[in-house]
Amino acid sequence: MKALLIDSTRCVGCRACQVACKQWNELEAEETTFFAGKGYQNPRDLSANSWTVITYNEVEVNNRFDWVFGKLQCFHCNVPACASACPVHALEKTEAGPVIYHADICLGCRYCQLACPFKVPRFEWNKIIPEITKCTMCGDRVAAGLEPACAKVCPTDAIVFGDRDELIAEAESRIRNNPTGYVHHIFGKDEAGGTCVMHISNVPFEEIGFDTKIPMEPILSKAEHAMKPIPYVLTGLGLVLGGVSWVVNRKKQINQESQTGKEG
Amino acid sequence: MLKGKISQKTAKDFFSKLSLGGKIVWMLAIFGIILVIYRYAAGLGAATNLSDGYPWGLWIGFDILAGIALAAGGFVMAGTVHLFGGHKYHALSRPAILTALLGYLLFIFGLFFDLGRPWNLWRAIYSWNHASPMFEVAWCVMLYTTVLILEFLPVVFERFKLNKLLELWRTFVPWIIIFMLGMFTLAMSYSLAWALVMVIILLVWEISMRAGWMPRDKQMPILLIMAGVMFSTMHQSSLGSIFLLAPTKLHILWYTPIIPLLFLLSAIMAAPAMVTFEALMSEKILKHKARFDLLSDLAGWMPYLLGFYLLIKIADLLGRNAALQTFTMSPQTISWWLEITIGVILPLILFLSPEIIKTRGGLLWASTLVIVGLVWNRINVAIVGVIVEKWETYYPYWIELFITIGVVAIGLIVFKWAVENLPIYEHDKLSNV
Repeated sequence: MKALLIDSTRCVGCRACQVACKQWNELEAEETTFFAGKGYQNPRDLSANSWTVITYNEVEVNNRFDWVFGKLQCFHCNVPACASACPVHALEKTEAGPVIYHADICLGCRYCQLACPFKVPRFEWNKIIPEITKCTMCGDRVAAGLEPACAKVCPTDAIVFGDRDELIAEAESRIRNNPTGYVHHIFGKDEAGGTCVMHISNVPFEEIGFDTKIPMEPILSKAEHAMKPIPYVLTGLGLVLGGVSWVVNRKKQINQESQTGKEG
Repeated sequence: MLKGKISQKTAKDFFSKLSLGGKIVWMLAIFGIILVIYRYAAGLGAATNLSDGYPWGLWIGFDILAGIALAAGGFVMAGTVHLFGGHKYHALSRPAILTALLGYLLFIFGLFFDLGRPWNLWRAIYSWNHASPMFEVAWCVMLYTTVLILEFLPVVFERFKLNKLLELWRTFVPWIIIFMLGMFTLAMSYSLAWALVMVIILLVWEISMRAGWMPRDKQMPILLIMAGVMFSTMHQSSLGSIFLLAPTKLHILWYTPIIPLLFLLSAIMAAPAMVTFEALMSEKILKHKARFDLLSDLAGWMPYLLGFYLLIKIADLLGRNAALQTFTMSPQTISWWLEITIGVILPLILFLSPEIIKTRGGLLWASTLVIVGLVWNRINVAIVGVIVEKWETYYPYWIELFITIGVVAIGLIVFKWAVENLPIYEHDKLSNV
């Protein structure tokens, strides 16, 4: 399974990845506005036309303020909440790693947006025939043996593309070789059951905008206790309801018979 | 030309004959339809305040979650009358089935303007993701609406004296039901074995009835009522299961592993309240005498239903160590307390006060509170309790509000028409359907 490893200590915040993503995926530019808090970050969040965004976080590192950059994009979960939620398989986890979208069967119910713990899928609110949009890990490039546009263009190798297992080993060795320079955690190795986009950082992940309350098991596991028993409940109801109506109607029948008997 | 003039004139006549209330309802319905057309022409972004942070709003919370819960009267009353021996409530079951059918049809109408790509809805028939609660919801909607239509057809047959069709209906309904439940079990389990078990159980009941071993209701196919209860149980609970996939977004006061059970219980709890509310409002507005004796008997169940629901709610909070959360200050906590006091505690007190509940006004108020509380709960789960990024916010846009009002107005118009033109409240005592 292919994956991306993103190292915040190597990122210089040049946003070449944002530009490359727009170019490769032919996404329109968007009008942006200033907003409080995040300095140079632009735009504020992912959108239907921005599938990746570098976040600018002012964080205290070694007793002085520093900029630490994070990267927003689809995490390409191993068991994606969006694909679990989709009633018709319009979102699909491919064996190669990327989670891809089939607009032709999508109902536009937007349950994927609610289910995604990373708040990634976007909806084209202003289109009459809207689609769900998100990073595809450049599925077309990957299929052709190339690396995703953002990884290709990154000047400092802050974004590396490769096999998931190898990247985990690489991340572990970076942390091992510089134990004071990294938080000892690979964000995405286990989050939401493991993802194909993983981050390592020199500051705690919650300080650079990651949600550290995301459960370590697949989001789907939260609904299994409700979905798995369905056939049992159905057949149980089929037995019980039929049985109850038998008993109740039999009683009624006996009552009626005894009444007519008395009258006769 | 002439024809146009005539229809214009009859339309004018029709409108001028309406009462003031009727005129307002018609205008709201027409305005709603115009806004629905605008929503299709301009897109969801132009017609709503929905965003990527709040992809679901008033339409999901009110039209769909609350609407379906309030339609629970249909399966609860049909089940009570035909399965659990509550024959005396028979007079209440037809209006309840009509409400449920209307509720579901309006829900499907609502779904069509809430979905971004509604023309793909039918794809749920062949593209199966049985792990998704939304897939279960989609199937339940399609199948239970079919069941409701089948349950309602005898009313139409009776009105137009189509006895042959009624006979055909009685013959074919059980086989349609066996097919539907078999397919549903297959879709939900991906297992031919489970589907076969389901089909065999239903076949055993049907054959026992036809052979005379099991008492048979000659008028109403028992399998149809069973299917109504089964699909409704699955549908009401699956609407709650949907939110199980939002563990990091839904507020702790509502996010619980038992949310499907709570959705089912609260829908059942609201069913007698909704039946009562409708009967008393129909009496006021449409001048149909309500069976107050039956409504009083129904009211006797309410303290148990409300009390049980409250007990489970409290036990759930205690069990998840979330009880203390109710005393923190946040918009969510306030909304939770309002939901519980207005919708559960207050009506529980009212239903336990005989001097209040024995009056029409008191009963109407207590039932209204239960309904308001249920709607409030669904809005809390769908909107108030959903917490995303700080800068994301949602309140309904005026177009969303007026489309919802328009949908309710259409429901009122159709309900009034059906009550006046079909044997809903008074019908032939001989036909037991």
